[in-house]
Amino acid sequence: MIYYLYDGTFEGLLTAIYEAYYRREKPAFIMRAEEYEANLFSRPVIIITDSEKSDKVYRSIEDKISRQALRHVYYAYLSDIKGVATLIYRYLQLGWQVGAELDSQLFREPVREMLAIYQRVSKERHRMLGLLRFCKLTGEIYFATCEPDHNIVGLVAPHFARRLADQNWVIYDQKRGLAAVYNQREWFITNLNLSGQLLYEENEKIYQQLWKQYFAGTAIQDRLNPKLQRQFMPVRYWQHLDEKN
Amino acid sequence: MFVVELLEKLSILSAAAKYDVSCSSSGSTRKNIRGGLGNAAQSGICHSWSDDGRCISLLKILLTNYCVYDCAYCVNRVSNDIPRASFTPEEVVDLTINFYRRNYIEGLFLSSAIWKNPNHTMELLVRAVRKLRVEYRFNGYIHLKAIPGADWKLIAEAGTLVDRMSVNIELPSSEGLKLLAPQKRKENILKPMSLLGSQILENREERKRFRKAPSFVPAGQSTQLIVGATSDSDLRIIKLSENLYRSFNMKRVYYSAYVPVSSNPKLPSISTPPLDREHRLYQADWLLRFYGFEAQELLSDSHPNFQLELDPKSDWALRHLNLFPVEVNKADYHLLLRVPGIGVKSAQKIVAARRFHSLDYEDLHKIGVVLRRARYFITCRGKYYGEVPFREDVIKQRLVPKQKQEPSWTQLSLFSEQSIPVEDRQTTITGEL
Ligand code: SF4
Repeated sequence: MIYYLYDGTFEGLLTAIYEAYYRREKPAFIMRAEEYEANLFSRPVIIITDSEKSDKVYRSIEDKISRQALRHVYYAYLSDIKGVATLIYRYLQLGWQVGAELDSQLFREPVREMLAIYQRVSKERHRMLGLLRFCKLTGEIYFATCEPDHNIVGLVAPHFARRLADQNWVIYDQKRGLAAVYNQREWFITNLNLSGQLLYEENEKIYQQLWKQYFAGTAIQDRLNPKLQRQFMPVRYWQHLDEKN
Repeated sequence: MFVVELLEKLSILSAAAKYDVSCSSSGSTRKNIRGGLGNAAQSGICHSWSDDGRCISLLKILLTNYCVYDCAYCVNRVSNDIPRASFTPEEVVDLTINFYRRNYIEGLFLSSAIWKNPNHTMELLVRAVRKLRVEYRFNGYIHLKAIPGADWKLIAEAGTLVDRMSVNIELPSSEGLKLLAPQKRKENILKPMSLLGSQILENREERKRFRKAPSFVPAGQSTQLIVGATSDSDLRIIKLSENLYRSFNMKRVYYSAYVPVSSNPKLPSISTPPLDREHRLYQADWLLRFYGFEAQELLSDSHPNFQLELDPKSDWALRHLNLFPVEVNKADYHLLLRVPGIGVKSAQKIVAARRFHSLDYEDLHKIGVVLRRARYFITCRGKYYGEVPFREDVIKQRLVPKQKQEPSWTQLSLFSEQSIPVEDRQTTITGEL
């Protein structure tokens, strides 16, 4: 069985899909090189990322299928879900057959699976718009730490660039060691691995305390419903919520 | 000292505000301005969920809980002996800005008890929001309570600053108001409501023509009423809501189950709030707004209250079995919406999917339509999947959650303490069916 291995970038993935389309040897699986484990029956093919090829695929998805499909592919790529690259490949194969109708064909499995993944990523993105917590550090920097299931830092950054436009901020994905950094003009993604304590600005603790108290006070005691709370706000996010840790 | 005092104020003034159910931050598209802070998100954003499972979106506080009025159902009534506090407008601004910058909140919901008199209170409220908008260039969401009886000039100024305003109607009938809130006048509540309604409409038209025209309450007005403090029927309540939606251009009516706060003989003696009834009213409200139902269809003088054991749509459908079952491949969108268990999303999915091929029961599953209730009211390619005889009593038995096979007199008790199954509970605030 043939495995196409790409470098983990979006361009790399699209290049792999390009090769899968043109090469004679079709892959059974596409995956990140680092995920690959050799076994007796597999034959790995290393895909070299090529921006010209990936551009072609990018535009072809947009023109021949739809902008929406492109969005689905990008979100699925960011999902970091195991096996998603192969799914994207199957989804696009189908897409080039049926064109713009692709996403309404819910009775086809790759479409259903892709939409489900897209929804999971969008849902986490939307959740994170609310659940990120910034703390103010010395030096006028607001700093938020998160460990999202999916790689969504780049998806939430534009929202905060518009909203918290007049402050410097960092959104740090501790799990993946990367961060979105904003300097009151523009934002960019960079690698970041932090060790050691953050240095709070002097009033920071006070506002955290006020918030914690506000949070605790809003619950109506006759109506406690921890199950519902956890459903909206899964426990895995609590570690970085001031009000819950 | 300063911190302790602030913590205490916040504790008193947020506790007093938490029974205001609305925490919605949706409906506004206010943009940030150069050098400013914040913007609104059209569909609203929840920032946390409190231990009762409700979304926390706005910093919801009273400016003060000192009140000169004596409304029987309210904890803040002047005759009640409770700790009192007030924020200065500056303190409100500081809390809002600092919570917002940390992404704790989507904005501010500021309300107040009546301090000295309506105008004095309204002036302080306006001062706080003016400071936020003008001095601090804050463009996050603001929901402000308009104080009944305050000058229209003040309320109108506030309207140019905030995203949403609300005047609470409090009780479903003027008799109720006379009995329980004797200092409040129906006219004082309805007048600002109606002025807000027409001003909002006018502003919307104006902004269609001149996109730069300043906004006036862009997220619309809402109101809240207390359920179960008076003897008003559900029919009376949803008719009132229907009128509010139609005549005052109301965006949302919120229902709040009466929380027993006093042993005043004018109030019903109940030990817990009538949450199930509140829930049914939210569901009915949803039917009015999004499903094309009219109050008259849902209830009548001979059937003036919702059954607590059955959602209003199922109740309606069972009383109109002659319209069912409907064929999912043929029924038009509006008819699909009337099928119990089929909501807006499902109806849209069905209409979209059946363009490609006719749907059978399995297909409905696949595209994600929940069939637990719907199966009794539909056919797929002519076949009925209810697996029971198509009779009101039989279907009803299937629809009512098992543990609630109670003697029939429970229907009559408005203040039943049984609870709705969890699955149903999740729709409590939205009411979506
Ligand atoms: S005026 Fe408002 S705060 Fe004062 S007692 Fe009446 S309901 Fe309560």
